[in-house]
Amino acid sequence: MRSAAADALAALPELVRAHILLSGSAIGIAVLVGLPLALWAAGHRRARIPLLAFVGLVQTVPALALLALFYPLLLLTGATLHLALPALGFLPALIALSLYALLPIVRNGVAAREGLDPSVIEAAHGVGMTGRQRLLLVELPLGAPVLLAGIRTASVWTIGAATLATTVGQPSLGNLIFSGLQTENWIRVLVGCGAAAVLALAADGLLALIEIGLARRSRWRVRTGLVLLAAALALALIPPERGSSQQTIVIGAKNFSEQYILAAAIADRLRAAGYRTELREDLGSAVAYRAVAAGDVDVYVDYSGTLWTNVLARADIPPAAALRAELARALAKRDGVRMLGTLGFENAYALAMKRQRAKALGIGSIADLARAAPRLRLASDIEFLSRPEWRSVQRAYGLSFAEQRSYNPTFMYRAIADGSADVLSAFSSDGRIAALDLVTLTDPKGALPSYEAVLLVSPKRAGDSKLVAALAPLLDSIPIERMRRANLMVDRDIDKKSPEAAARWLLEARSN
Amino acid sequence: MDSTPLLELNGITKRHVGRAALDDVSLSVPAGTLLALVGPSGSGKTTLLKTINRLVEPDSGSVRLGGDDVRSLSAAALRRRIGYVFQGIGLFPHMDVVDNIAIVPRLNGVPEAERRARALELLDLVALPRDFAARHPAALSGGQAQRVGVARALAAKPSLMLMDEPFGALDPVTRDELGRTYRALHDSLGLTTILVTHDMTEALLLADRIVVLIEGRIRADSAPAALLRGDLDAEVRALIEVPRRQAERLAELERGA
Repeated sequence: MRSAAADALAALPELVRAHILLSGSAIGIAVLVGLPLALWAAGHRRARIPLLAFVGLVQTVPALALLALFYPLLLLTGATLHLALPALGFLPALIALSLYALLPIVRNGVAAREGLDPSVIEAAHGVGMTGRQRLLLVELPLGAPVLLAGIRTASVWTIGAATLATTVGQPSLGNLIFSGLQTENWIRVLVGCGAAAVLALAADGLLALIEIGLARRSRWRVRTGLVLLAAALALALIPPERGSSQQTIVIGAKNFSEQYILAAAIADRLRAAGYRTELREDLGSAVAYRAVAAGDVDVYVDYSGTLWTNVLARADIPPAAALRAELARALAKRDGVRMLGTLGFENAYALAMKRQRAKALGIGSIADLARAAPRLRLASDIEFLSRPEWRSVQRAYGLSFAEQRSYNPTFMYRAIADGSADVLSAFSSDGRIAALDLVTLTDPKGALPSYEAVLLVSPKRAGDSKLVAALAPLLDSIPIERMRRANLMVDRDIDKKSPEAAARWLLEARSN
Repeated sequence: MDSTPLLELNGITKRHVGRAALDDVSLSVPAGTLLALVGPSGSGKTTLLKTINRLVEPDSGSVRLGGDDVRSLSAAALRRRIGYVFQGIGLFPHMDVVDNIAIVPRLNGVPEAERRARALELLDLVALPRDFAARHPAALSGGQAQRVGVARALAAKPSLMLMDEPFGALDPVTRDELGRTYRALHDSLGLTTILVTHDMTEALLLADRIVVLIEGRIRADSAPAALLRGDLDAEVRALIEVPRRQAERLAELERGA
């Protein structure tokens, strides 16, 4: 089994390539749009104020939200104009990052033009320069240091913010950072952050070289800087080696360990069957399903209960088998999404407590818990308290806790381990349930639906029998104990494994 | 004398918000004249000067240069044929002295070697050493910079020179020196010059003809000597009184000492 560092480094070249391509394109677009805009606005007092206000406003939107915003916007635009716009991946990331890079470029562009000595401009008019000659012979050369400073700022920002492109399904160095944060794999986080920092410093250094070169009229400096920047972009443009006959299958994953492991396992299976694969990780719960329905993602794993309540908005809770059958029918009918089947385990929301504490309080079911709850503290993940499942449990049992706090999943387990919470909203396939000696409480009223892991395929791949055959061995092949152990391999603090390593273990264990 | 004037302004009117900056100004300037436009601040003299090379477009009236309306050329092409020197100097800080001087020939597409030779010639003409050629404007004193400014204006061999307070920012000694250098150039090159100044002494000492502009109208137009002798209205007399009093006081001091 490979080390976490080896796994992170193996993924690095392709992620660096994608990162350079994305941030380079975004900066390029921002320069091409921003500079003319700035030069024009500098001469039009009335246009300048609204323009600067607009680019400033864009900056106040958190980068993460700006990126996420373009997913629905592009879906809507595509639907309105009847265009096949890719709403996930490169396009939304590119638009958001280009907008983000506009502020320093436009602001410095305006400042560069306004900062010019009025006598020099009067002289340029007086000697009979045309507008174009003024721009090329006087305004650009004299404004270059300020303009370049803006481009440098924009570059550093953009290279940093491009890590967030991961959340809209565009591979970037953020893939390492987000999955590393989620699984507390600090080596992944370090490799991702380190690589992004090196890229930002390199770009800034090369632009600084050009800036100094212009200031000192040193041709070799300007040339070296330009050539190296162009070379980096050109290298990023070379597509990774791939057999031309191979098809690319896009695999989606939400933002937790089990999803990373399953996506890696699916990728392993498909590569073995001769497909090229691409991962779209860290998708939001709702985004992931819409992405598969829109065909931006070809295959991913979701959970029956989640789809039932969130996607179909159903409030009734039928038994597992009936729910599964109705779900498959409804998804196919409404969105053309094909549910291939279950993977063999369930990852349900469950309320869990430390075994000893549950015993001491005489709690075995959620009904027992309801009596003791007013004196107990609940730790939940960030989503749970706003989900329909929680409302359903509250309604069924009349639950009310002394205190409710939301945590990132990792810290939620810390909270119950160190005694700052009594009850948590656990995932039943989580390896930490066994590792921390927790018990999951039974649900006698059936308030929580079943959450069987199911494999979903996009409408455009639904009829692809070769793909379905390649995925079939995964169905009903992963028992809950195996999934818990694989999850624990990634989530534990000691001897931590990467999701790829855990996926290989999961597949090997299955074939033995 | 040539019967057609080199420069002819006819009924020039320019309004700034509410008030007239130039009110129906007409002026005819024969070739070879050094004409000083004098007047207090805000009298419209700079505005009038700028209508000639179209840095300002008048609301009505026409400007003719060598018999042709200045609007028959593009503004850029017109300005390349007219020398322009102003108080701000405005040398291009990223170009050396030679490139600054040779800018108009460059805009006109004159080959590099030819325009360099011309620029060096002009350095001689404005009495700057040739080893200034590779210097950048930041390394020049104010007087040196304005000599380069004059050389730049002369590079394309214009027949008309427009000068807007060209020596205004210089110390008195440099100012006097540069004034005399320019007057000599004006004569030897056969130029026609419109010199805007608020300094009546400078106008009296350098010009062939003085036009006094007050509140956008011509209030006096004569040779320096005639202006000193002439029958003038109160405001124009006030302008003339300053140099006269100074000259008298200086003469008294000399006699008294």
